[in-house]
Amino acid sequence: MSPSRALDELVLRVGESRDREAFAGLFDHYAPRIKALLMRGGASASAAEELAQETLLTVWRKAHLFDPARASAAAWIFTIARNLRIDHFRRGSVTLHELDFHLEAEEPAQPDAILSGAQDAQRVRAAMLSLNADQAAAIEMAFFQEQTHAEISRTLGVPLGTVKARIRFGMMKLRACIERDRGDAS
Amino acid sequence: MSLRRQPSEERLLAFAAGTLSFPEAVVVAAHLSLRPVTRPWADLGAAVGGVLLDDQAPETLSSQARREVMARLDAVEPEAEPRPASADPVLPAPLDQFALGPWRWLGPGVHVRDVLGTRQGDCRVILLKIASGQSAPRHTHGGVELTCVIDGAYATEDGVFSRGDFEEADPSVTHQPKVVSKEPCLCVAALDGQILLPGRLGKLLAPFVRL
Repeated sequence: MSPSRALDELVLRVGESRDREAFAGLFDHYAPRIKALLMRGGASASAAEELAQETLLTVWRKAHLFDPARASAAAWIFTIARNLRIDHFRRGSVTLHELDFHLEAEEPAQPDAILSGAQDAQRVRAAMLSLNADQAAAIEMAFFQEQTHAEISRTLGVPLGTVKARIRFGMMKLRACIERDRGDAS
Repeated sequence: MSLRRQPSEERLLAFAAGTLSFPEAVVVAAHLSLRPVTRPWADLGAAVGGVLLDDQAPETLSSQARREVMARLDAVEPEAEPRPASADPVLPAPLDQFALGPWRWLGPGVHVRDVLGTRQGDCRVILLKIASGQSAPRHTHGGVELTCVIDGAYATEDGVFSRGDFEEADPSVTHQPKVVSKEPCLCVAALDGQILLPGRLGKLLAPFVRL
Protein backbone atom coordinates (compact mmCIF):
# COMPACT_ATOMS: atom_id res chain seq x y z
CA MET A 1 0.00 0.00 0.00
CA SER A 2 1.40 3.41 -0.93
CA PRO A 3 1.96 5.85 1.95
CA SER A 4 -0.91 8.05 0.76
CA ARG A 5 -3.28 5.08 0.56
CA ALA A 6 -2.24 4.16 4.10
CA LEU A 7 -3.31 7.64 5.23
CA ASP A 8 -6.64 7.27 3.39
CA GLU A 9 -7.09 4.02 5.30
CA LEU A 10 -6.55 5.79 8.63
CA VAL A 11 -9.30 8.31 7.84
CA LEU A 12 -11.64 5.48 6.86
CA ARG A 13 -10.94 3.67 10.13
CA VAL A 14 -11.72 6.80 12.12
CA GLY A 15 -14.94 7.22 10.12
CA GLU A 16 -16.08 3.64 10.54
CA SER A 17 -15.26 2.98 14.19
CA ARG A 18 -13.98 6.16 15.84
CA ASP A 19 -10.61 4.42 15.98
CA ARG A 20 -8.42 6.50 18.32
CA GLU A 21 -5.20 4.75 17.32
CA ALA A 22 -5.83 5.55 13.65
CA PHE A 23 -6.65 9.11 14.63
CA ALA A 24 -3.39 9.42 16.58
CA GLY A 25 -1.57 8.30 13.42
CA LEU A 26 -3.28 11.03 11.42
CA PHE A 27 -2.51 13.57 14.10
CA ASP A 28 1.18 12.69 14.14
CA HIS A 29 1.46 12.95 10.37
CA TYR A 30 -0.70 15.96 9.68
CA ALA A 31 -0.71 18.30 12.68
CA PRO A 32 3.01 19.19 12.37
CA ARG A 33 2.65 19.65 8.60
CA ILE A 34 -0.48 21.79 8.88
CA LYS A 35 1.35 23.94 11.41
CA ALA A 36 4.27 24.27 8.99
CA LEU A 37 1.99 25.11 6.05
CA LEU A 38 0.12 27.79 7.99
CA MET A 39 3.33 29.33 9.31
CA ARG A 40 4.65 29.45 5.77
CA GLY A 41 1.46 31.33 4.95
CA GLY A 42 2.29 33.94 7.58
CA ALA A 43 0.47 32.64 10.69
CA SER A 44 2.17 32.86 14.07
CA ALA A 45 3.40 29.61 15.62
CA SER A 46 0.66 29.66 18.26
CA ALA A 47 -2.17 30.44 15.81
CA ALA A 48 -0.85 27.81 13.39
CA GLU A 49 -0.74 25.18 16.13
CA GLU A 50 -4.23 26.01 17.32
CA LEU A 51 -5.60 25.76 13.78
CA ALA A 52 -3.75 22.48 13.27
CA GLN A 53 -5.47 21.11 16.39
CA GLU A 54 -8.87 22.38 15.19
CA THR A 55 -8.25 20.80 11.78
CA LEU A 56 -7.64 17.39 13.35
CA LEU A 57 -10.72 17.72 15.56
CA THR A 58 -12.72 18.47 12.41
CA VAL A 59 -11.22 15.37 10.79
CA TRP A 60 -12.47 13.37 13.80
CA ARG A 61 -15.93 14.89 13.47
CA LYS A 62 -16.24 14.46 9.71
CA ALA A 63 -14.22 11.32 8.96
CA HIS A 64 -17.38 9.32 8.19
CA LEU A 65 -18.06 11.75 5.32
CA PHE A 66 -14.65 11.16 3.72
CA ASP A 67 -14.88 9.52 0.30
CA PRO A 68 -11.55 8.23 -1.03
CA ALA A 69 -12.98 8.01 -4.55
CA ARG A 70 -13.36 11.78 -4.49
CA ALA A 71 -10.23 13.02 -2.75
CA SER A 72 -7.08 11.75 -1.12
CA ALA A 73 -6.81 12.13 2.66
CA ALA A 74 -4.17 14.80 2.03
CA ALA A 75 -6.41 16.85 -0.29
CA TRP A 76 -9.39 16.47 2.03
CA ILE A 77 -7.44 17.51 5.13
CA PHE A 78 -5.81 20.34 3.18
CA THR A 79 -9.24 21.81 2.37
CA ILE A 80 -10.32 21.53 6.01
CA ALA A 81 -7.20 23.39 7.18
CA ARG A 82 -7.59 25.98 4.43
CA ASN A 83 -11.22 26.66 5.33
CA LEU A 84 -10.52 26.93 9.04
CA ARG A 85 -7.73 29.41 8.33
CA ILE A 86 -10.01 31.55 6.18
CA ASP A 87 -12.80 31.43 8.77
CA HIS A 88 -10.35 32.23 11.56
CA PHE A 89 -9.26 35.44 9.88
CA ARG A 90 -12.67 36.34 8.48
CA ARG A 91 -14.70 35.69 11.63
CA GLY A 92 -17.92 35.43 9.65
CA SER A 93 -21.04 33.66 10.82
CA VAL A 94 -21.09 31.38 7.79
CA THR A 95 -18.05 29.24 7.28
CA LEU A 96 -16.37 28.62 4.00
CA HIS A 97 -16.24 24.99 4.91
CA GLU A 98 -19.88 24.63 4.06
CA LEU A 99 -19.29 25.91 0.55
CA ASP A 100 -17.28 23.18 -1.05
CA PHE A 101 -18.87 20.12 0.44
CA HIS A 102 -18.67 18.61 -3.02
CA LEU A 103 -15.44 16.96 -1.88
CA GLU A 104 -17.64 14.90 0.38
CA ALA A 105 -20.21 12.33 -0.49
CA GLU A 106 -23.25 14.34 -1.49
CA GLU A 107 -23.75 12.48 -4.72
CA PRO A 108 -21.96 9.74 -6.64
CA ALA A 109 -18.60 10.76 -8.03
CA GLN A 110 -18.71 11.87 -11.64
CA PRO A 111 -17.52 9.09 -13.90
CA ASP A 112 -15.42 11.63 -15.78
CA ALA A 113 -13.89 13.14 -12.65
CA ILE A 114 -10.26 13.06 -13.64
CA LEU A 115 -9.06 12.32 -10.18
CA SER A 116 -11.55 9.68 -9.13
CA GLY A 117 -9.51 6.78 -7.94
CA ALA A 118 -6.44 8.48 -9.36
CA GLN A 119 -6.28 11.17 -6.77
CA ASP A 120 -3.53 9.20 -5.24
CA ALA A 121 -0.91 11.67 -4.16
CA GLN A 122 1.79 9.73 -6.03
CA ARG A 123 0.19 10.46 -9.35
CA VAL A 124 -0.35 14.10 -8.64
CA ARG A 125 3.21 14.38 -7.37
CA ALA A 126 4.55 12.71 -10.52
CA ALA A 127 2.52 15.11 -12.64
CA MET A 128 3.91 18.07 -10.69
CA LEU A 129 7.43 16.94 -11.60
CA SER A 130 6.51 17.32 -15.26
CA LEU A 131 5.97 21.07 -14.87
CA ASN A 132 8.69 23.43 -15.91
CA ALA A 133 10.29 25.48 -13.12
CA ASP A 134 8.30 28.65 -13.90
CA GLN A 135 4.95 26.84 -13.90
CA ALA A 136 5.76 24.97 -10.70
CA ALA A 137 6.85 28.18 -8.96
CA ALA A 138 3.72 30.09 -10.00
CA ILE A 139 1.41 27.30 -8.81
CA GLU A 140 3.24 26.89 -5.53
CA MET A 141 3.23 30.62 -4.85
CA ALA A 142 -0.51 30.70 -5.42
CA PHE A 143 -0.79 28.38 -2.41
CA PHE A 144 1.82 29.42 0.02
CA GLN A 145 2.49 33.06 -0.24
CA GLU A 146 -1.06 34.19 0.43
CA GLN A 147 -0.63 36.34 -2.59
CA THR A 148 -2.90 37.54 -5.26
CA HIS A 149 -1.71 36.96 -8.80
CA ALA A 150 -0.84 40.65 -8.98
CA GLU A 151 1.43 40.30 -5.95
CA ILE A 152 3.08 37.20 -7.41
CA SER A 153 3.65 39.22 -10.58
CA ARG A 154 5.47 41.93 -8.59
CA THR A 155 7.51 39.40 -6.61
CA LEU A 156 8.66 37.55 -9.72
CA GLY A 157 9.06 40.73 -11.75
CA VAL A 158 7.04 39.35 -14.66
CA PRO A 159 3.77 40.70 -16.12
CA LEU A 160 0.46 39.61 -14.58
CA GLY A 161 -0.56 37.94 -17.83
CA THR A 162 2.59 35.81 -17.68
CA VAL A 163 1.78 34.67 -14.13
CA LYS A 164 -1.75 33.72 -15.15
CA ALA A 165 -0.50 31.90 -18.26
CA ARG A 166 2.06 29.94 -16.22
CA ILE A 167 -0.65 28.86 -13.78
CA ARG A 168 -3.10 28.05 -16.56
CA PHE A 169 -0.67 26.00 -18.66
CA GLY A 170 0.68 24.36 -15.52
CA MET A 171 -2.82 23.28 -14.47
CA MET A 172 -3.60 22.02 -17.99
CA LYS A 173 -0.36 20.06 -18.05
CA LEU A 174 -1.11 18.51 -14.65
CA ARG A 175 -4.52 17.46 -15.78
CA ALA A 176 -3.27 16.02 -19.08
CA CYS A 177 -0.53 14.15 -17.25
CA ILE A 178 -2.94 12.62 -14.72
CA GLU A 179 -5.43 11.66 -17.41
CA ARG A 180 -2.72 10.01 -19.49
CA ASP A 181 -1.49 8.19 -16.40
CA ARG A 182 -4.97 6.92 -15.69
CA GLY A 183 -5.36 5.84 -19.32
CA ASP A 184 -2.16 3.80 -19.01
CA ALA A 185 -3.38 2.19 -15.81
CA SER A 186 -6.73 1.06 -17.16
CA MET B 1 -10.16 32.57 -27.46
CA SER B 2 -13.43 30.71 -27.36
CA LEU B 3 -16.02 31.51 -24.75
CA ARG B 4 -15.45 29.27 -21.76
CA ARG B 5 -18.43 30.07 -19.52
CA GLN B 6 -16.46 28.70 -16.59
CA PRO B 7 -13.86 30.22 -14.25
CA SER B 8 -10.31 30.36 -15.58
CA GLU B 9 -7.89 27.70 -14.40
CA GLU B 10 -6.02 30.28 -12.34
CA ARG B 11 -9.20 31.34 -10.56
CA LEU B 12 -10.12 27.72 -9.85
CA LEU B 13 -6.63 27.18 -8.42
CA ALA B 14 -7.09 30.28 -6.24
CA PHE B 15 -10.45 28.85 -5.09
CA ALA B 16 -8.76 25.58 -4.15
CA ALA B 17 -5.82 27.36 -2.51
CA GLY B 18 -8.20 29.54 -0.48
CA THR B 19 -6.92 32.86 -1.78
CA LEU B 20 -10.15 34.12 -3.36
CA SER B 21 -12.17 36.63 -1.37
CA PHE B 22 -15.17 35.07 0.38
CA PRO B 23 -17.75 36.58 -2.06
CA GLU B 24 -15.75 35.34 -5.04
CA ALA B 25 -15.54 31.88 -3.47
CA VAL B 26 -19.34 31.83 -3.00
CA VAL B 27 -19.96 32.54 -6.70
CA VAL B 28 -17.37 29.96 -7.81
CA ALA B 29 -18.96 27.41 -5.43
CA ALA B 30 -22.40 28.16 -6.94
CA HIS B 31 -20.98 27.53 -10.40
CA LEU B 32 -19.31 24.28 -9.28
CA SER B 33 -22.58 23.00 -7.83
CA LEU B 34 -24.45 23.71 -11.09
CA ARG B 35 -21.63 22.55 -13.39
CA PRO B 36 -20.06 19.29 -12.21
CA VAL B 37 -17.93 19.34 -15.35
CA THR B 38 -15.82 22.15 -13.84
CA ARG B 39 -15.24 20.33 -10.55
CA PRO B 40 -12.19 18.34 -11.65
CA TRP B 41 -10.26 21.62 -11.90
CA ALA B 42 -11.11 22.56 -8.32
CA ASP B 43 -10.41 18.99 -7.20
CA LEU B 44 -7.06 19.14 -8.99
CA GLY B 45 -6.22 22.30 -7.05
CA ALA B 46 -7.13 20.57 -3.77
CA ALA B 47 -5.05 17.54 -4.77
CA VAL B 48 -2.05 19.80 -5.42
CA GLY B 49 -2.67 21.38 -2.01
CA GLY B 50 -2.67 17.90 -0.49
CA VAL B 51 0.68 17.05 -2.07
CA LEU B 52 2.16 20.33 -0.87
CA LEU B 53 0.81 19.59 2.62
CA ASP B 54 2.32 16.09 2.66
CA ASP B 55 5.64 17.53 1.48
CA GLN B 56 5.92 20.15 4.23
CA ALA B 57 8.81 19.66 6.61
CA PRO B 58 7.00 18.97 9.92
CA GLU B 59 7.02 21.78 12.44
CA THR B 60 7.52 20.86 16.10
CA LEU B 61 4.34 20.94 18.17
CA SER B 62 4.21 21.98 21.79
CA SER B 63 4.42 19.02 24.17
CA GLN B 64 0.76 19.08 25.19
CA ALA B 65 -0.75 19.64 21.69
CA ARG B 66 -1.60 16.02 21.00
CA ARG B 67 -2.81 15.29 24.54
CA GLU B 68 -5.17 18.28 24.42
CA VAL B 69 -6.77 17.07 21.20
CA MET B 70 -7.05 13.44 22.31
CA ALA B 71 -8.72 14.60 25.53
CA ARG B 72 -11.39 16.43 23.56
CA LEU B 73 -12.35 13.57 21.24
CA ASP B 74 -15.05 12.07 23.42
CA ALA B 75 -16.86 15.38 23.65
CA VAL B 76 -16.99 15.76 19.86
CA GLU B 77 -20.08 14.39 18.14
CA PRO B 78 -19.81 13.17 14.55
CA GLU B 79 -21.20 15.69 12.13
CA ALA B 80 -24.62 15.02 10.67
CA GLU B 81 -24.87 13.62 7.16
CA PRO B 82 -24.54 16.14 4.34
CA ARG B 83 -27.55 18.39 4.11
CA PRO B 84 -30.52 17.25 2.06
CA ALA B 85 -30.99 18.49 -1.46
CA SER B 86 -31.61 22.19 -1.77
CA ALA B 87 -34.92 23.33 -0.31
CA ASP B 88 -35.14 25.76 -3.19
CA PRO B 89 -34.90 23.85 -6.48
CA VAL B 90 -33.61 26.90 -8.33
CA LEU B 91 -30.93 28.24 -5.99
CA PRO B 92 -27.57 26.45 -6.08
CA ALA B 93 -26.93 24.46 -2.88
CA PRO B 94 -24.04 26.65 -1.61
CA LEU B 95 -26.48 29.56 -1.30
CA ASP B 96 -28.85 27.60 0.99
CA GLN B 97 -26.97 28.52 4.12
CA PHE B 98 -27.33 32.28 3.67
CA ALA B 99 -30.25 34.48 4.62
CA LEU B 100 -31.42 36.77 1.83
CA GLY B 101 -32.30 40.43 2.12
CA PRO B 102 -35.51 41.85 0.61
CA TRP B 103 -35.77 42.43 -3.15
CA ARG B 104 -35.09 46.05 -3.95
CA TRP B 105 -36.05 47.87 -7.11
CA LEU B 106 -33.02 49.11 -8.94
CA GLY B 107 -34.44 50.31 -12.22
CA PRO B 108 -36.95 49.24 -14.87
CA GLY B 109 -37.16 45.45 -14.73
CA VAL B 110 -34.14 45.20 -12.45
CA HIS B 111 -34.27 43.97 -8.83
CA VAL B 112 -31.49 43.13 -6.44
CA ARG B 113 -31.25 41.45 -3.06
CA ASP B 114 -28.29 40.96 -0.77
CA VAL B 115 -26.96 37.55 0.15
CA LEU B 116 -26.44 38.27 3.83
CA GLY B 117 -23.30 37.42 5.73
CA THR B 118 -21.02 37.38 2.70
CA ARG B 119 -19.41 40.81 2.91
CA GLN B 120 -15.67 41.06 3.00
CA GLY B 121 -14.40 44.62 2.81
CA ASP B 122 -16.18 46.30 -0.11
CA CYS B 123 -16.94 42.99 -1.76
CA ARG B 124 -20.21 41.09 -1.24
CA VAL B 125 -22.62 38.72 -2.96
CA ILE B 126 -25.91 39.83 -4.49
CA LEU B 127 -28.72 38.20 -6.43
CA LEU B 128 -29.77 40.15 -9.48
CA LYS B 129 -33.10 39.57 -11.23
CA ILE B 130 -33.62 41.15 -14.61
CA ALA B 131 -36.86 40.97 -16.59
CA SER B 132 -37.09 39.53 -20.09
CA GLY B 133 -35.80 41.95 -22.70
CA GLN B 134 -34.18 44.23 -20.14
CA SER B 135 -30.54 45.06 -19.80
CA ALA B 136 -28.46 44.58 -16.69
CA PRO B 137 -27.12 47.68 -15.00
CA ARG B 138 -24.04 48.76 -16.85
CA HIS B 139 -21.01 48.30 -14.74
CA THR B 140 -17.59 49.78 -14.78
CA HIS B 141 -14.32 48.50 -13.48
CA GLY B 142 -14.85 47.73 -9.83
CA GLY B 143 -18.49 46.70 -10.30
CA VAL B 144 -19.67 43.15 -10.90
CA GLU B 145 -16.56 41.01 -10.99
CA LEU B 146 -17.94 37.47 -11.16
CA THR B 147 -21.38 36.31 -12.27
CA CYS B 148 -23.06 32.91 -12.37
CA VAL B 149 -26.44 32.51 -14.05
CA ILE B 150 -28.99 30.67 -11.90
CA ASP B 151 -32.08 30.90 -14.07
CA GLY B 152 -33.04 32.34 -17.45
CA ALA B 153 -30.42 33.58 -19.89
CA TYR B 154 -28.70 36.74 -21.00
CA ALA B 155 -26.73 37.57 -24.11
CA THR B 156 -23.70 39.74 -24.65
CA GLU B 157 -21.81 40.35 -27.88
CA ASP B 158 -19.80 37.26 -26.85
CA GLY B 159 -22.74 34.84 -26.72
CA VAL B 160 -25.58 33.55 -24.58
CA PHE B 161 -25.15 32.72 -20.89
CA SER B 162 -27.64 30.37 -19.19
CA ARG B 163 -28.00 28.35 -15.96
CA GLY B 164 -24.61 27.48 -14.53
CA ASP B 165 -22.63 29.69 -16.93
CA PHE B 166 -19.94 31.79 -15.30
CA GLU B 167 -18.56 35.08 -16.48
CA GLU B 168 -15.55 37.00 -15.28
CA ALA B 169 -15.74 40.73 -15.85
CA ASP B 170 -13.07 42.06 -18.11
CA PRO B 171 -12.30 45.60 -16.99
CA SER B 172 -11.31 46.55 -20.51
CA VAL B 173 -14.78 45.75 -21.86
CA THR B 174 -17.96 47.58 -20.97
CA HIS B 175 -20.77 45.43 -22.17
CA GLN B 176 -24.41 45.56 -21.35
CA PRO B 177 -25.94 42.07 -21.19
CA LYS B 178 -29.56 41.75 -22.31
CA VAL B 179 -31.99 39.13 -21.01
CA VAL B 180 -33.05 36.84 -23.85
CA SER B 181 -35.10 34.26 -21.92
CA LYS B 182 -38.89 34.54 -21.58
CA GLU B 183 -38.58 34.26 -17.83
CA PRO B 184 -36.52 36.77 -15.81
CA CYS B 185 -32.81 36.09 -15.58
CA LEU B 186 -31.57 35.40 -12.06
CA CYS B 187 -27.84 35.71 -11.39
CA VAL B 188 -25.58 35.49 -8.37
CA ALA B 189 -22.73 37.96 -8.50
CA ALA B 190 -19.72 38.99 -6.47
CA LEU B 191 -19.79 42.73 -6.45
CA ASP B 192 -16.86 44.96 -5.66
CA GLY B 193 -17.70 48.63 -5.25
CA GLN B 194 -20.77 50.19 -6.80
CA ILE B 195 -22.99 49.27 -9.73
CA LEU B 196 -23.68 52.16 -12.04
CA LEU B 197 -27.14 52.36 -13.48
CA PRO B 198 -27.41 53.17 -17.14
CA GLY B 199 -28.51 56.49 -18.53
CA ARG B 200 -30.03 59.59 -17.04
CA LEU B 201 -32.32 57.61 -14.76
CA GLY B 202 -29.25 56.09 -13.18
CA LYS B 203 -27.79 59.49 -12.51
CA LEU B 204 -31.03 60.63 -10.89
CA LEU B 205 -31.33 57.54 -8.73
CA ALA B 206 -27.69 57.18 -7.81
CA PRO B 207 -27.92 59.16 -4.56
CA PHE B 208 -30.91 57.09 -3.41
CA VAL B 209 -30.08 53.56 -4.43
CA ARG B 210 -27.22 52.25 -2.42
CA LEU B 211 -25.88 49.00 -3.67
